[in-house]
Amino acid sequence: MKKRGVGLGVSFYGTGYGNGFPDVSNAEVQLLEGGKVGIFVGATEVGQGAKTAMIQIGAEALNMDHKDIVLVSEDTSQMMDSGTAAATRQTYNTGNAVKIACENFNKRLFDLAKVELGLNSTAGLVAQDGDIYLGIFPQKRISYKDLSEKYKDDIIRVVGSFTAQTVKMDDETGQGAPYWPYTFNACMVLVEVDTNTGRVELLKAAFAQDVGRAVNPSLVKGQMDGGFAMSLGYTLFEDLALENGVMKNRKFSKYLLPTSMDMIDVENIIIEDPESTAPYGAKGIGEPVTIPIGPAILNAIYDASGVRIFNLPVTPEKLMKALRESEESEAI
Amino acid sequence: MMEIQLIINDINYKVDIDVNMRLIDLLRDKLGLTGTKEGCGEGECGACTIIMDGESVNSCLVMAFQANGSNIITIEGLENNGELDPIQRAYMEEGSVQCGFCIPGLIISTKALLDKHPNPTREEIREGMSGNLCRCTGYNKAIDAAQKAIEYLKEGQNDFKNSW
Repeated sequence: MKKRGVGLGVSFYGTGYGNGFPDVSNAEVQLLEGGKVGIFVGATEVGQGAKTAMIQIGAEALNMDHKDIVLVSEDTSQMMDSGTAAATRQTYNTGNAVKIACENFNKRLFDLAKVELGLNSTAGLVAQDGDIYLGIFPQKRISYKDLSEKYKDDIIRVVGSFTAQTVKMDDETGQGAPYWPYTFNACMVLVEVDTNTGRVELLKAAFAQDVGRAVNPSLVKGQMDGGFAMSLGYTLFEDLALENGVMKNRKFSKYLLPTSMDMIDVENIIIEDPESTAPYGAKGIGEPVTIPIGPAILNAIYDASGVRIFNLPVTPEKLMKALRESEESEAI
Repeated sequence: MMEIQLIINDINYKVDIDVNMRLIDLLRDKLGLTGTKEGCGEGECGACTIIMDGESVNSCLVMAFQANGSNIITIEGLENNGELDPIQRAYMEEGSVQCGFCIPGLIISTKALLDKHPNPTREEIREGMSGNLCRCTGYNKAIDAAQKAIEYLKEGQNDFKNSW
């Protein structure tokens, strides 16, 4: 018999290393030959979109086109450390460092422009599309290209650094503020449980994720789809069979990942509630998007069949056993 | 050693191979066509998918000598005079790529599907891609890209200018 059920999962998740651990990101911004701007930052791209996000944040802070920005990353001989691409921390933590470095860069250029333009002060100077000009008298203007030529022997390169604020939990009382910021999400699924085979099929899903501000909505939705698929596999298929620390099923024929036929179309909903300490309000979502899906599926299985499963994955054998035990206990 | 002849991406090749060489090693190591990836090496993941005489095959499961006389398309063969194939273009526009390792195989599987069935449903596209494992994307944006590519192919926009 096929039974349908609906389930909801919600989660909140603290991003960054947390718990008082030093969480430092650095970025450097340099005026390049020809007036382009280089951002040197150790944000490692693993497909999550770090390079895209850092360029977008830089373009916003520098007030110039992304095509005039050269991003250099993943080379420790050329840049300072920005920590790991882990803990959902690059967009928030390193994004902040990039923003601060760009703001410091603008300040430095304003000081130079003041001298070059013979001004009394940097007040009212505007940086826009590779030019610096005086807002009240735009004829007073100098381009990044001209500045780069004048200062070619004295390279203009500035640093921006961001250290996340977290408070270690007290060992005795557990009190503290271990993470900042948190992200929030909710997922709802409709499943069909076949009580003759123990097979669970996903029919429908909606997934809402708080991102603070979506730096790149397409990348956010890609992460949400990816997180959903990973968690779907974790919940229904993926069984790491360890024996004395060795994985027994280390083949894709034995360790099952979801395929395109197991995945379904998810209605992804981006919730924007800008975080005040974040670069333009943006928070990371890499890990959080994997969290509420499993609970939603388990709750839906319970709603459909009346059976609660407490360990993963919910293989057909495991679910059949639980269904039989539930029937037997009802019979008694 | 033996000599085989085959066509890869419209180019004739005459190569000496070891009899125990796999097709993927011929492509990657001998001919330098490294766009085709090796994932699992046992036909489960689809990263090494190529088109051989019109059929999509896992090049890790085909021996090089079996390709003698065949006509092969790899990911390198999709671009035409510096212009992307409509499927590649759709993948970029839809943001279908994350880490990218599975993408050459996914794109080739999409091409193999659309070459035979120019107007598949979304479910048929899922089935056509089901031999390609992807850990990052959840597949949905790849399916969006396939649907977009179908439109491009219908519009005959094969000759678009490569703005990338």
